[in-house]
Amino acid sequence: MSVAKEFTKGLWKEVPPFRLVLGLCPTLAVTTAAENGLGMGLATTFVLVCSNVLVSLLRKVIPGKVRIAAFIVVIASFVVIVELTMQAYFYPLYKVLGIFIPLIVVNCIILGRAEAFASKNTVIPSIADGLGMGIGFTLSLTFLGGIREIFGNGTLFGHAIAGASFQPFSILLKAPGAFVCLGLILGAMNWISARK
Amino acid sequence: MRELVRMVVVLTVICAASGFVLSYVNEATQAPREYQLLKYVQEPSIKAVLPSYSNDPIKDRIELTMGKNEKGEPVKKTIFPAKENGKVVAIAYGSAANGYHGPIDVMVGIDPEGKLTGVSVMTHTETPGLGARVVEPAFSEQFAGLEMSGQLNVTAQGGKINAVSGATLSSKGVVNAVRSALEVFPQVKKEVF
Repeated sequence: MSVAKEFTKGLWKEVPPFRLVLGLCPTLAVTTAAENGLGMGLATTFVLVCSNVLVSLLRKVIPGKVRIAAFIVVIASFVVIVELTMQAYFYPLYKVLGIFIPLIVVNCIILGRAEAFASKNTVIPSIADGLGMGIGFTLSLTFLGGIREIFGNGTLFGHAIAGASFQPFSILLKAPGAFVCLGLILGAMNWISARK
Repeated sequence: MRELVRMVVVLTVICAASGFVLSYVNEATQAPREYQLLKYVQEPSIKAVLPSYSNDPIKDRIELTMGKNEKGEPVKKTIFPAKENGKVVAIAYGSAANGYHGPIDVMVGIDPEGKLTGVSVMTHTETPGLGARVVEPAFSEQFAGLEMSGQLNVTAQGGKINAVSGATLSSKGVVNAVRSALEVFPQVKKEVF
């Protein structure tokens, strides 16, 4: 498989939240605004790429029986780095994402890619895989956050885009709205794929 | 057996490396994290108690060591100066005293003459609906313009502060916190102005 193919599979064919239906916890919880989705996505992408690189480099050193423990330590370290950096330079975003930043550790996309891909492949394809999956995840979260923000609040990235007469569907900003949006997007993607 | 040793060694090395890296990152981000915390958690209170200023009181903050506590450890106080045209027009710093349920943290703003420019209650654990009403401006605005004197007391003790009804102890807690802030003011003044 070519590097380009590893990269692009994360963007449509295996885009994590909608096609693999992985990582739904942050997908549903933080996408109340496009900006939050983007921040969460970028944080996850960073952890995903870094952990893929390290796992791929260490894949021959780590004994099979303790590989999951080793992967988790690697992933958790990068998550703490993200958390401290975000706290130091992007405090408002850090406040909004809250507990979901530490929870990146248990995001099954990251452990899934480490286990299913990086531990069996060399560094370059692992970077492509992590980057593709991460960007796919980021775009999905930003898209979902954008939809919920536009219809739930009448804004996009904090800028008002709807007229004054717009009545926001505030349910979209609550948990049920997240499920409804996710379901509609999943359905739409299945429909498009089936037509091809 | 050899496999067991290898597992232990590899996992130990990975964990140790992770520990080293994280302690380095922790150290490196210490200062900006502190700044952000002050900026977003304390700046609203600081802004509320100071007159208009043109500097960044968080960036210009001064760490003072003032005396020792009961355990003999030095007590640190962070002073936030408000400057206009490079001149300090007022300073703000935190203070605390016991209320009805626990400590009440206040931020006080004081001008160079020792007059209060404002008081803002930051954190407290007073009874909701009663003691918690000390955070309301109707109560905290009474402090502006007062200085260290008999006037700085609840009315029951001959002062000018109307206690929140039904919450005398909470009100006294705020007054005590403000008084203890003013008590150290002469010492702070020497260092800052």
